[in-house]
Amino acid sequence: MSKSDQETQQNASQNKASILTWIILVGTLLIILAGPTVVVLFFGMLPTLVARLIDRSIGKSATFTVGSLNFIGVFPYIVKLWGTDNTFNAAMGITTDLVAMMVMYAASAFGWLIYMALPSLISSFVMIMQQRKVAQLRGEQKLLIEEWGADVAAIVEQQRASQQENHTEKSLTK
Amino acid sequence: MAEALKQAVETVQSDTDTPDSHGDLHEGTGSEAVPASTSPAPTVENDAEQHPPSTLNDRYLVFPVMPLAALDSPTALAYAVEDRREPNRNLFALVCSPALPANAETMKRLRNSSSKGLMPLVDFGPAFWSPLGQKCMIVIFERPLGGRLTSAFGNKPIQINEYEIIPRFMEHIMPGLMKLASIGIAHRGLRLDNLFYMDKDREHLVLGDYVTTPPGHDQPLVYEPIECAMATPAGRGAGDSRDDMYALGIVITFLLLGKNPAQKSTDEDILVAKCDEGSYNSLCSNERIPLQMIEVVRGLLVDDADGRWTLDTVYNWMESTQQQNIQYMGIVKAKAPYKFKGKNYLSPKIIAHAFSKNITDAVAALKNSAFDLWVRKALNNPELADELATLLTLSKVHEGKPEGSDDILVSKACMRLDPLGPIRFKGFSFMPNGFGTAMATEYLRTGSFQIQGEIISRELIAYWSNVQAAQDSEIKMLVKTFKTLRSFVQLGTQGYGMERCLYELNKKLPCQGGFLQHQYVDDIDNLLPTLDAISNEIDSHDRPMDKHIIAFIATHFETDIQPHINALNNQQEDASLVGLLSLLALIQWRQAHENLFGLSSWVGGLLQPVIGTYHSRTTQRTIEQEIPSLVRQGSLPELFDLIDNAERRHNDTLAFKQAQYEFSIAETEIQATVGEDIDQEQVALEAGEKATAMFAIVAGMIATCAIIIVMLM
Repeated sequence: MSKSDQETQQNASQNKASILTWIILVGTLLIILAGPTVVVLFFGMLPTLVARLIDRSIGKSATFTVGSLNFIGVFPYIVKLWGTDNTFNAAMGITTDLVAMMVMYAASAFGWLIYMALPSLISSFVMIMQQRKVAQLRGEQKLLIEEWGADVAAIVEQQRASQQENHTEKSLTK
Repeated sequence: MAEALKQAVETVQSDTDTPDSHGDLHEGTGSEAVPASTSPAPTVENDAEQHPPSTLNDRYLVFPVMPLAALDSPTALAYAVEDRREPNRNLFALVCSPALPANAETMKRLRNSSSKGLMPLVDFGPAFWSPLGQKCMIVIFERPLGGRLTSAFGNKPIQINEYEIIPRFMEHIMPGLMKLASIGIAHRGLRLDNLFYMDKDREHLVLGDYVTTPPGHDQPLVYEPIECAMATPAGRGAGDSRDDMYALGIVITFLLLGKNPAQKSTDEDILVAKCDEGSYNSLCSNERIPLQMIEVVRGLLVDDADGRWTLDTVYNWMESTQQQNIQYMGIVKAKAPYKFKGKNYLSPKIIAHAFSKNITDAVAALKNSAFDLWVRKALNNPELADELATLLTLSKVHEGKPEGSDDILVSKACMRLDPLGPIRFKGFSFMPNGFGTAMATEYLRTGSFQIQGEIISRELIAYWSNVQAAQDSEIKMLVKTFKTLRSFVQLGTQGYGMERCLYELNKKLPCQGGFLQHQYVDDIDNLLPTLDAISNEIDSHDRPMDKHIIAFIATHFETDIQPHINALNNQQEDASLVGLLSLLALIQWRQAHENLFGLSSWVGGLLQPVIGTYHSRTTQRTIEQEIPSLVRQGSLPELFDLIDNAERRHNDTLAFKQAQYEFSIAETEIQATVGEDIDQEQVALEAGEKATAMFAIVAGMIATCAIIIVMLM
């Protein structure tokens, strides 16, 4: 392992420690300042936490989808908490209310449903759009070749050759 | 028939190449040349329809079916002429041989200049000559009504006694020679059979033709000074009045004696005798020259050109008959003979001549100490012996290289032995200022420049200049010229090479380009019209220019055409074609030729590779569509402007670069979408997931807002 890689890893672990410190600090402050809300949020948003743990997608799309809908289910109870008795007892009352929890978890389940169904539909649409775009670009290239001859494509070949050359050079350097 | 005549003319050339002293006497009369007997008698009498008259300069009709054998020159046949404007005028034409460069420069200077003693040259120019099937130079002279001097004597010896020689011969001839000398021209054709009577009474004697061949070409060897006599006939050089004075001395001698005393001698014998004994002694020692004529004959036959009588001396002698001073230089002669190839030689001049004809034996002789000893002791010239020894040493140093070859060694040794003689190399001998005509003649006959190229490359002229006792301005100029020629030969590309040398040295030589060989284009103004005229007769796939034509243009066109020549020499066909078109267009524009339809069409048909250099197919099609209309205008400059318009080309280049950029961008986008290392489904799925997440976030925000609003209400 090179020296620079070691330095990069060291920096990443330092950042993680720093973030964890901040989370603990902010969490403690929130519990002190808005303890009942945090309790409702914690129990109500548990499906989102699970989704975050099992989400392997790069953009954490499942987490955002489930989280957004989960929050829709949780938010009315938080508002209710803020509007009535904003205490730990009231918060515990909501978390022990079966209906309330059903609503919150059903919302998250709906989020999962959307996440399961919608991406495939959208990806099909995206693929069709991409194919159309490629066809259009190929058509434009064909017109360019008709007008300017095959030489107009030479630059692409040159770029490819240059890229290959660079790639080979890098491989040899490693 | 044309082929037969061609062969006949070539036969004349080869006959005259070997100067034959027998050739200057006529059927035993003792003093007349016999060109008519050896010249190709035309056999076209009954071919009037096949050979219509040639028209020269829209005025003179020259009749191929009416030969005038009595007026033939050795290499130019005489024909009857009719002047359209003055039909009663007595004229005749000499048709120059295509195998010899005519002396057009002299013709130009003497056209219509009448002078006593010269046969008046009326006009000249190239015209189509049907018996040869090509254009030839035709020279129109006033017809000598009294015929040749030699014919005037019938069967009697051609003899004029010492009392009549001045009034009957010299008084007539001298003004002509004086006139030529005054304009810096030598006649170089003064011989018995080239003297004519202009009047029927045979009183008005004139000098005959002197322009149809290179100077001195037609002269039998006996009429030439020793140095010129040893050169090939075409390489005798322009010479000067001193050479005419020598020929005058010979003619006077023959007229006084009524015969040629060397009639039975071979050329070699005449040369040996002249070198060993001197010209006067070799011809007159056994003859009786009248006492009062000895002085003039001796004065004119002095072998040292500087000591020879001049025109003024002869005039003074004619007028006063006072004794004139003869600066007679002794002949350089050895005390004992040197034997070479079984013959004894006394003079280094004639040894040089013999060496040049036997290279292998000459090298052996030069390396032999006996020759060194002969030069030191018998010739009493140790300096010359040292110089020859140095030459041998240098030859050994350069052994195996061209500059160390036997031919070079012998050539340089000959220059040392005979500094005033011709330069001799591989059987090609010439006076330095006759190199141009000799080279032209050699090329016209053999189509080769090989030996001449070696002479220029090996700097033999520079060596010759070093062996000269005096370095006058003429020699310096000659050396400078040959230095330039050497650079041309070294370049060797189109517009240079030996072709360029040929035209630089022979300004009036017709262009020898493949298409123009039979067209006699000796003036650059006629080049494009001629190419235009022949465009229908040749294969239009060939380019209208070859090395000869380009060299001809480079020599004669006054504008700087270097960039055009550079383009022509480009290895890429399209660039070369642009160079060709630009050069032709420049000439047409400069010379203001209009409507060159044939040439425009010819060139237009060759331009496809140039059109292909434009990237845009639309531009290519536009140009292709416009070419026919420009061809119909016959304008090469406009054709060039269409083909190589700078703005159009600039725009094409810019637009092409833009198109390349657009193509590249499109390719990048395509590769980003469907590239080899792209999982399209995965990308689409990720996009779907992101879109779903965004949708959920937006829905969450809306719902949150809605809940807040509802709660607040």
